[in-house]
Amino acid sequence: MSIQADPADPRSGQVPPATALQADAAGFGGTPSANGASSLSVVDLTLSFGPRAILSNLQLKVAEGRVTALLGPTGSGKTTLLRTFNRMNDKVTGYRHQGDVLLDGRSIWHSGIELMSLRRKVGMLFQRPNPFPMSIMDNVVAGVKAAKMAPRNQLRDIAERRLRDVGLFDAVSGRLKDSPFRLSGGQQQLLCLARALAVDPDVLLLDEPTSSLDPMATEAIEELVRTLVPKITVVIVTHNLAQARRVSDSTVFLNKGRLVEHGDTKQLFENPAEEETARYVSGRFG
Amino acid sequence: MAASAPLARGGEAASPPPRGPGSALQRWFRNGSFIRWIGLGGALIPTLMLGFILVVLVVKAWPAILINGWGFFTKSAWHTGAQYGTSVHSHGITYLSGQSYGAVPQIVGTLETSAIALIIAVPVSIGAALVVVERLPKRLASVIGMFLELLAGIPSVVIGLWGVLTFGPFIANYIAPALSHIPIPFFQGDVGHGEGLLVSGLVLAVMVIPIIASTARDLIRQVPILPREGAVALGMSDAETARKVTLPWVGSGLVGAVVLGLGRALGETIAVAMVCGVALGQVATNLYAAMITIAANIVQNLDTVITDQLGVRTYAELALVLLVITLVTNVVARLMVRRVSGTALPVGRGL
Repeated sequence: MSIQADPADPRSGQVPPATALQADAAGFGGTPSANGASSLSVVDLTLSFGPRAILSNLQLKVAEGRVTALLGPTGSGKTTLLRTFNRMNDKVTGYRHQGDVLLDGRSIWHSGIELMSLRRKVGMLFQRPNPFPMSIMDNVVAGVKAAKMAPRNQLRDIAERRLRDVGLFDAVSGRLKDSPFRLSGGQQQLLCLARALAVDPDVLLLDEPTSSLDPMATEAIEELVRTLVPKITVVIVTHNLAQARRVSDSTVFLNKGRLVEHGDTKQLFENPAEEETARYVSGRFG
Repeated sequence: MAASAPLARGGEAASPPPRGPGSALQRWFRNGSFIRWIGLGGALIPTLMLGFILVVLVVKAWPAILINGWGFFTKSAWHTGAQYGTSVHSHGITYLSGQSYGAVPQIVGTLETSAIALIIAVPVSIGAALVVVERLPKRLASVIGMFLELLAGIPSVVIGLWGVLTFGPFIANYIAPALSHIPIPFFQGDVGHGEGLLVSGLVLAVMVIPIIASTARDLIRQVPILPREGAVALGMSDAETARKVTLPWVGSGLVGAVVLGLGRALGETIAVAMVCGVALGQVATNLYAAMITIAANIVQNLDTVITDQLGVRTYAELALVLLVITLVTNVVARLMVRRVSGTALPVGRGL
């Protein structure tokens, strides 16, 4: 198996499983970086559905406070990997994992980790906008309310601030009590982003967030993603090579359940180390 | 068909077919008029039927409405008159002196039993539907779904019999004594023998649960996965996801399901007639007292008044009241839906 090390971090790709155990013993809390973003390390991870392995023996260190793109053809396991980071696959029938994922040095499957708080820490934006059937304002603060992160009388301010953060406030200020389903697709996705940011995540997972959007909305989302770093560690799955190039600092290329190459985005696109990567990024397969 | 012969010859000559009666019929089929007329008829027939029933009931009940007056809605006594008394003739009908009808106990009984049924059935049904759709493995879920539908298909007379012989005595012996310790006056008093308000309400709940649960299950199945996953990914628990996302998504449908169940509860006749204790003339004083509902009264006593001109018209009036109660609860429920989910109905986008 060929595993490329992250040029920015010579240790990546070679973290032995023992480190995971030590990190576990160290207790909850880990060591997030000074600016609040969290680090994600994948340690010898094998993911499978039933008898079929989706990803095998994956080693990966996601740089904290940066945007990492997961690239690969359909079926390469990138979405499965992404959904593992916030344990969205746990309930899927047949899903099994071996190895470990460390969030700030601590296993996400550690028994002391509360699943709900892990998911607040590791937020997610989906392929298509998925507003809840409640008012626009209630949508933004849904997670805040569910986790009782703020008193009731502050919810409106929080909603307004988060809507401003994603540049949606002016468009919806007069109809905060209205249905989100009358917004355009792009506006809905911005609303979902505001909702994900409202619970102050340290990591944000983006699962092809612009695949259902028009170019203007795509540009708005991409610009926003760039403003999230370095406060938040961003992992984005995309089929769009140009998008990966535009938004990410480093890129991981997955193919057939293996990590083929991981490196600085510019270098990976312009001067890939692997022939497989070169063929994919130049559009010759996938 | 004779008319099709010239049509066929016209076709062979490769000229435009003559516009005979056959081609008109064909056109009528092809351009969709046929389907439109069928649809229009299908849409009109239920409306006309409802109107027809309302008109017939009003016409039949009219003398009773005039003779009974407002007392029908304020009095509790149900006097069928003195058999050997004098006859009275008014409003075009002849009846016995002393006949006087007050429907308060039956109207209250109908509403009370339906309320008990819904208080039990709504949470149980929706909880069951959520568990079946979201928690159980597919095979088990389909088996349980099958049982739900079987339960809905049990004839009400069978459930009534079960209520009288098994369920009623069980409630009277084990459940009612415990309930009677609750410090609410309506819950206290003689717990009876298993025929009365509580047992009627519970029997109705048993009959309503499969209706609401199977409809709710079908609705919840239709909720797209994406908003539910969005809630889970936001750190919301399963219960919060159900309460904030899954159930509101199909809120109007759920109210429809509850209204369907309510309709059954309001109108259910034979099972309630068997377990209500048949107490005309008095509103139940506690949860266990014998009582009667409108539908149970009609089925229990209609045969005794079939030759009694005022009596039979009074029963028509009762039926009219039941129909109006059902219609009003339906309309109120639908208005409620509009108020509850008016701003957030999923309309077209992002689904």
